Amino acid sequence: MAAIADPRGYWGTLTRPERVVAAALGVVAVASLAGVVVGALAPAYFLYLVGLGGMYALLSFGLNAQWGFTGLINFSVAAFFGIGAYGAALATGDSSPLAGGLNPIVGLLIGVVLAAALAVAIGIPTLRLRADYLAIASLGLAEVLRLVFLNERQWTNGSAGVRGIPRFFEGWPVVETLPTALPGIRMELVPGSPVFFETPFYRALLNVVLVFAFVAGSFAVLRRVHRSPWGRVLRTIRSDEDLAEALGKDTYAYKMQAFVLGSVVMALAGVFYAHLNLYVEPGALDPITTFYVWVAVMLGGSGSNRGALLGGFVIVAIREGTRFVNDFAWVPIDGGPLRLLLIGLLIVLVMRFRPEGILPPQRELIWPGAVDDRPARRDGGGGNDA
Amino acid sequence: MSLLEYLANGLVFSSIIVLGSIGLSLVYSIADFANFAHGDTMTVGAYASFAAFGAVGALAPGVLGLPAGFFLAALVGVATAALVAVVTERFVYRPLDTDSIGLLITSIGVAFVYRALVRIRYGADFRRYDVEPLRPIEWLVPYGVRVTEHDVAIVVSAALLVGGLHVLLQYTDLGRKMRAMADNPDLARVSGIRTRRITLVTWVVGAGLAGAGGAFLGLYNQLSPRMGFNVLLVIFAAVILGGIGSVYGAMLGGFLIGMVNQFMPALSDLGALLPLVPDGVAVPIGIEYANAVAFLIMVAVLLVRPRGIAGEAT
Repeated sequence: MAAIADPRGYWGTLTRPERVVAAALGVVAVASLAGVVVGALAPAYFLYLVGLGGMYALLSFGLNAQWGFTGLINFSVAAFFGIGAYGAALATGDSSPLAGGLNPIVGLLIGVVLAAALAVAIGIPTLRLRADYLAIASLGLAEVLRLVFLNERQWTNGSAGVRGIPRFFEGWPVVETLPTALPGIRMELVPGSPVFFETPFYRALLNVVLVFAFVAGSFAVLRRVHRSPWGRVLRTIRSDEDLAEALGKDTYAYKMQAFVLGSVVMALAGVFYAHLNLYVEPGALDPITTFYVWVAVMLGGSGSNRGALLGGFVIVAIREGTRFVNDFAWVPIDGGPLRLLLIGLLIVLVMRFRPEGILPPQRELIWPGAVDDRPARRDGGGGNDA
Repeated sequence: MSLLEYLANGLVFSSIIVLGSIGLSLVYSIADFANFAHGDTMTVGAYASFAAFGAVGALAPGVLGLPAGFFLAALVGVATAALVAVVTERFVYRPLDTDSIGLLITSIGVAFVYRALVRIRYGADFRRYDVEPLRPIEWLVPYGVRVTEHDVAIVVSAALLVGGLHVLLQYTDLGRKMRAMADNPDLARVSGIRTRRITLVTWVVGAGLAGAGGAFLGLYNQLSPRMGFNVLLVIFAAVILGGIGSVYGAMLGGFLIGMVNQFMPALSDLGALLPLVPDGVAVPIGIEYANAVAFLIMVAVLLVRPRGIAGEAT
């Protein structure tokens, strides 16, 4: 880790936007920590936000594999997120009209398999289409799926949703009882506003551990495949599909693989959401989720995994930050429309002024060994990379 | 419900979809991107009409159960939608240095901004125009057709607007230039057509028709900030069915998709409606899937005949 071994040298290798982002992240981290310490920000809620950020990062990773790597315009992110969430919920939830009561691991597998199957089902007719047709068709198919989940009550409980979803670690030895078994801690650093670290905090901590495991696993896989020969073909398809065809690549097969891979990662986010929220309703498939994720990927930089990570957390800042505007009387705008306005403006402004995103893929496309005159700390074993 | 009634309802809904489809198709052919903000342009038109109608009031008694003030308000809606689209084109789309996919993504952002502004001003609740709700026209009821004078007003207005567009395109110099440009923008430019100006006119006509469609959609259903987005995919289905870039294809596609949409409930009652089909024969699919069927038709068209019914190569 170059950042720890040689902080100054590491800082020197960063580009300007990277420095700005790093500094901003530092400020946010310090502010959050301060908020927790003085009792302004409940630790459990803070961890909930971190978990949500991880969830959006997962969704962004998935879309990045499709749009950033391969150039597929997928406007059905919400559908894959929803199918992951419903797969987990219907397998494990108490009020599930289908199975219910299964182990969350089984739910995870069901959600992922369903998403892969849906990806193939949507991919077969649409992946041969021109890019803008793919956009329209995938948005339409996502709407069809949403209508099915809303109306087929015998399978999905309709608009009532599925309740009684267990926590992900329920039924696991030791981990299941950990949040209740650990002692509650009461801290009072600032007199008058104590901070509690109790069962809800430990539960939130477990959720964060879970989503970090998902994020780290997906990140490792996606980075590995992106740099592999397979990923190179994807990049070729993105920049010039005819060229890839001419080189003898079956572009349709590659697109399908990238589509399924990305959709499975999105479904992971859905599975996490089901166990975070403990309740899933058809609103999870609302198209707005799709566009949140698009903003995250474009803002971070299409094709860049760490950009997707950043975008995911920015989206949570917008989504959750706008909830508080209703508390301030002087803000004349309601939270809901304000969120919509910010998302819309972000899309327009990014497209206008920084279409490559804040952290565009740079070094992460290059094998460290492939650089001829490699500076000693330039890629530092991946510490500052990807 | 009788077959005639489905037909009548289909005609009313089709009129609205046709008004939306033409604009989307025009912009698709000239600006060369799928404009996802088109549905929300309809919303803008609807709410502008709503505001104008609140301001001017009924004025004089008008025709077909609608006061003259309503038609004036609808014109304000048309003008506002056109103005908003032109301003957007000038300050958002034109400065962009990007391809049709970049424009498509930008238009989603534009759509959200439109909808957010409408919600900030008017809230998320449903609203209605302050016009007297009418009873179905009496002499039609014995035929099993229940339509109001408002429905007739929608169909007649849409027919007048579409007829006007036809005259514009076929019999005026401007229309000829628009068709030339839709056909081949580069050729049009080297032939001495001022393509910037034609593009502007196209946006005005397309968004204006969308504004009218929105005003009538508000009269047909009610107004909500999501009203335009909710019909956007249906309109895309219509445009793709008709053939992207073809105005007449968009009219035909809009008509067919609107009809399919309204005929959905008939499917579960097929045997009783059609003469040669035995009773009890039915397609068991609920009306809640009306939009889903439109999308599936759209995907099928894209696969089998991506140029649509009347479409040109794009």
